Amino acid sequence: MDESQEPIDSAQDTIIELREATRQYKGRAGEVRALDSVSLSVRRGEWLAITGPSGSGKSTLVNLLGCLDRADSGSVWIAGKDVHTLSRQELDQFRAETVGFIFQQFHLIPYLTALENVMLAQYFHSITDREEALASLRRVGLEDRAAHLPSELSGGEQQRVCIARALINQPPVLLADEPTGNLDAANQEIVTGLLRSLNQMGHTILMVTHDPAMAQMADRIVELQHGRIVAERKLTATSPV
Amino acid sequence: MFSRLILESFLRQRRRKLLAALAILLGTTAVTAMLAIGTSVGDKITREMAAYGANIVVYPAADALDVEIGGVNVRPATAGSYLRENELAKIKNIFWRNNVADISPELPVTASLTSGQRTVQVPATGYWFQHTLHSTDPSSGESWTMGAPALHPWWKLRGAWPREGSSEIAVGSELARQLQLHIGDTVLAQGQPVRVAGIVSSGDATDRTLLVPLGLAQRWIGHPGAVRRVYVGALTKPEDALARKNPDKLSPKLRDRWYCSPYANSIAYQIQEVLPNTRAEQIRRIAQGEGTILSRISGLMLLVALAALVAAGLAVGASMTTAIVERRQEIGLMRALGATRVIIAGLFFVEITVLAVAGGVAGYLLGSALAHHIGDQVFGSPIAFNPALLPATLLLSLVVSLAGSAPSIWQATQMEPATVLREEG
Repeated sequence: MDESQEPIDSAQDTIIELREATRQYKGRAGEVRALDSVSLSVRRGEWLAITGPSGSGKSTLVNLLGCLDRADSGSVWIAGKDVHTLSRQELDQFRAETVGFIFQQFHLIPYLTALENVMLAQYFHSITDREEALASLRRVGLEDRAAHLPSELSGGEQQRVCIARALINQPPVLLADEPTGNLDAANQEIVTGLLRSLNQMGHTILMVTHDPAMAQMADRIVELQHGRIVAERKLTATSPV
Repeated sequence: MFSRLILESFLRQRRRKLLAALAILLGTTAVTAMLAIGTSVGDKITREMAAYGANIVVYPAADALDVEIGGVNVRPATAGSYLRENELAKIKNIFWRNNVADISPELPVTASLTSGQRTVQVPATGYWFQHTLHSTDPSSGESWTMGAPALHPWWKLRGAWPREGSSEIAVGSELARQLQLHIGDTVLAQGQPVRVAGIVSSGDATDRTLLVPLGLAQRWIGHPGAVRRVYVGALTKPEDALARKNPDKLSPKLRDRWYCSPYANSIAYQIQEVLPNTRAEQIRRIAQGEGTILSRISGLMLLVALAALVAAGLAVGASMTTAIVERRQEIGLMRALGATRVIIAGLFFVEITVLAVAGGVAGYLLGSALAHHIGDQVFGSPIAFNPALLPATLLLSLVVSLAGSAPSIWQATQMEPATVLREEG
């Protein structure tokens, strides 16, 4: 981790707020409410774990928080903006500036090197800067693997490249969807440590996970069932892992 | 980064890109060949069509009616008015001068022919055989070789055509048989010795006549420079409704259109303008036939070219659809990282443009070579490379490729990243 990196604003203000957000899809058996009047606030610098069984609405919630989808009713405020008011093009730009994605499947472009994968996010955000991209890889301990293709990297290394890509545009929110779901124990530990360290530096992390141990790393856990928040738990540093 | 993504796409999907380029190449090859043949062979075809005769005839305006019996003009040779031979070059001054392929003046006369002890009156016609017609503008230095044989390609000649200004004649095959004339014989015509240079077989009344140099016929009737009628072979546009209008009753705008279209009628009209006191008329049957056949050939060529282009567009579209399906994850990821729909569309449109230009240039070269070969094999003269076709071919190639791939590219821009990125897991 690059210790010279300044923590981002750690004020206790709200960075994400969902107000009665509802999202429904048309299915064969009629309309399905994937998210049903969910209200949720996330403080800046908070690490929030979202858990729940399959079909509970986790993915839908992540899509709304990642500006990849829009609520049918209610509102979603991210970094002080009601995303519903943004045009499609503004939403694309807002997503590039505000959210860094960490995927379970990594989603690295196979023919680009680790460095180029990081620079890709820069390209869609503004302009590419090789030095900045290298610095981002340095933060996840992969500077020496910059010229390697994803196929030449281990699963853990690929996930760290994915994290470096998520960090490159300094987004206020990191959205991690099962970040350790495809990793072995050793790599899980590395990635978990990395996320912890990012959170300590002030990054807001929203993490979807099935892994209770991973969820215990967060400041707060919300549990979804049938599109509704059914439980919410604040964790302290001494909470059992 | 943009160019890197494009380059990698070409490197990774080499076979698919090659197939798309091949489809464009085949389409543009067909189009180039058809365009090249259509534009330059138009003249060739019309020239071949002109082989079936003249399509305009010019008379003196105050001429007496010809009286023909069995194809033989029995009107007194000295009756009526004449055109002046030295004015015929003016026909090459009209607006559509380059469309005038052949000019053949005729002067029918009756000659007394003495062969051995036998003297008979026979019909004869004075012609140009290999006449060099010089431009009325000496500074241009232009000249053309014209004459009856070019306008009557069905005439079969044994021996040689009479030379201009000589005392040589050609004899119709039937007349030669009746009078037992042979090539090289010398006979008396109008009391002057003439040599039989050739025997002509035409299958019509010409077989019973003498074919003599125009100058000789003029001397026989004592009218130097006289011409009874002129047949003109012109490359014309198919006759349509406008062609049949009377130009003097058209609005100025329509009249200009009529005048500037190479209808047989408008060419005849222009001939009358440069040769005052003449009457120029379309020989309708032949001109119409030419027009119909030409328009059918052009239509067929256009149809083949269009079919080739549509096939190319469909092939490019299919190739692009497959390529986009293969790259769904990439597109989803790029969209999630903030790529706008314009950038996604731009990536694919640039790829297609590169393919269209590469395929278009190769298709132009191959199509031109094909046209060259077809021209050589079918029309007997190769078709030269026409650089003006390159931009037209490239434009068509671009339009077809972009139109063919637009639906799949539009679908790519409509992909929802959330859905696409979840598909893999």
